[in-house]
Amino acid sequence: MHQIEMTVNGQVMRAEVPAETTLLSVLREAWGLTGSKLGCDVGDCGACTVLVDGLSVNACLLLAVQVDGQEVLTIEGIGGFDYLHPIQAAFERLSSIQCGFCAPGIVISAKALIDKNPHPTEQEIREALAGNLCRCTGYTKIIEGIAEACRIPAGTDGSA
Amino acid sequence: MRSFEYSAPGSLREALEVMEQHAPDFKLLAGGTDLLVDLKHSLNGPTLVMDLGGVAELKGIEETPSGLRIGAMVTHTEIQQSPLIAKHAPAMIAAAATIGAVQTRNMGTIGGNLVTCVPSLDSGPVLVALDAQVTVAGVDGRRVLAITEFFVGPRQTALAPDELLVDILIPTPMLGRATAFRKFGLRKGQALALVNAAASIAVNDGRIIEARIALGAVAPTVIRATDGERVITGKSTDDVGALREAAAVAVTEARPIDDFRASAAYRRELIAVGTFRVLEEALALATSS
Repeated sequence: MHQIEMTVNGQVMRAEVPAETTLLSVLREAWGLTGSKLGCDVGDCGACTVLVDGLSVNACLLLAVQVDGQEVLTIEGIGGFDYLHPIQAAFERLSSIQCGFCAPGIVISAKALIDKNPHPTEQEIREALAGNLCRCTGYTKIIEGIAEACRIPAGTDGSA
Repeated sequence: MRSFEYSAPGSLREALEVMEQHAPDFKLLAGGTDLLVDLKHSLNGPTLVMDLGGVAELKGIEETPSGLRIGAMVTHTEIQQSPLIAKHAPAMIAAAATIGAVQTRNMGTIGGNLVTCVPSLDSGPVLVALDAQVTVAGVDGRRVLAITEFFVGPRQTALAPDELLVDILIPTPMLGRATAFRKFGLRKGQALALVNAAASIAVNDGRIIEARIALGAVAPTVIRATDGERVITGKSTDDVGALREAAAVAVTEARPIDDFRASAAYRRELIAVGTFRVLEEALALATSS
């Protein structure tokens, strides 16, 4: 067993895990952060996307022990019922989500993009989402939602 | 996943010692984008997984007297963002951009891509076109190999069971060499190559003095199309017909297969088109600089 400690959504979290535990399973099963989804389990679908030290990664392809000491941001750290991130608010306004299973990963990938590039082109948005599969929407409303979120001034609560 | 032990050495020396003790019953963990998938699906996994993430000697991109050194643990994203690679070997950025998706590139490493050694590995052709060398290390010392010697077959490299890949070197004479890369896949994102092509060209006094053509996903490993290279060597830089002829000859040097992604016949068409395009692009770069 391995003792691990990492900062998740600003909070120090600890667990004792066998080496073969993925980051995704420790987030979901040990810490109850079920916003990150288990989809394909092989790094194709992006439903498990989280940020580790600011970089988007597939939590299903990382061992929890590899992330020891690092900083993790999941969908739970981005917004919630009382505060929507501008990307989430735009998705709500434009009905960008249907079943919603892919949405947490997509919001994380979109945030990773606009943190670095606040005014992406449509092509840049599409490239940033290449690792996130959505089987409902056909992506059109998701791409429009991200473009819309970029028009909201940073730091503003987009839920208004 | 089956259970295994995990070790995270802090230095190359420590890593090599652990490998010597456990060879061949261990797996090296670089970016994990291939290894974790294999571990999840394998019935008889290794007893030890050694994470190379803490080995500083395997990281970094730097100019050295012998060329541009790229550590095996450098990620595809780091390659895309490296000013040194943009200056000296920008075709590597074009190749890195075609790998997987953002998440895969943030995790996956160039060393992992080379060591996994699938025929469609996207990092390979540009490195072959740039005459790259690799350094491998074992407890007894280091060896330097040409990249073409490193690739042995599908999922098979020249690494001994107790050796690991340390770094990749683009030799000084090849820095800034006009190089182009094209990948053909079924989609733009998250696609394995049907055909990969890269070419580098040097010109002098209106003639092509050196050309290298590399093709991926068309043979058991990345290959050099040396007969195609010979067709254009010495030709005038205005001779577009020679580029077409070289591309046609390159097709005869490849051994593409039929699989569920594409037929061998279709791949041969792509080799002709891809080789011509990379030669044309590399030549345009060579003559404009």
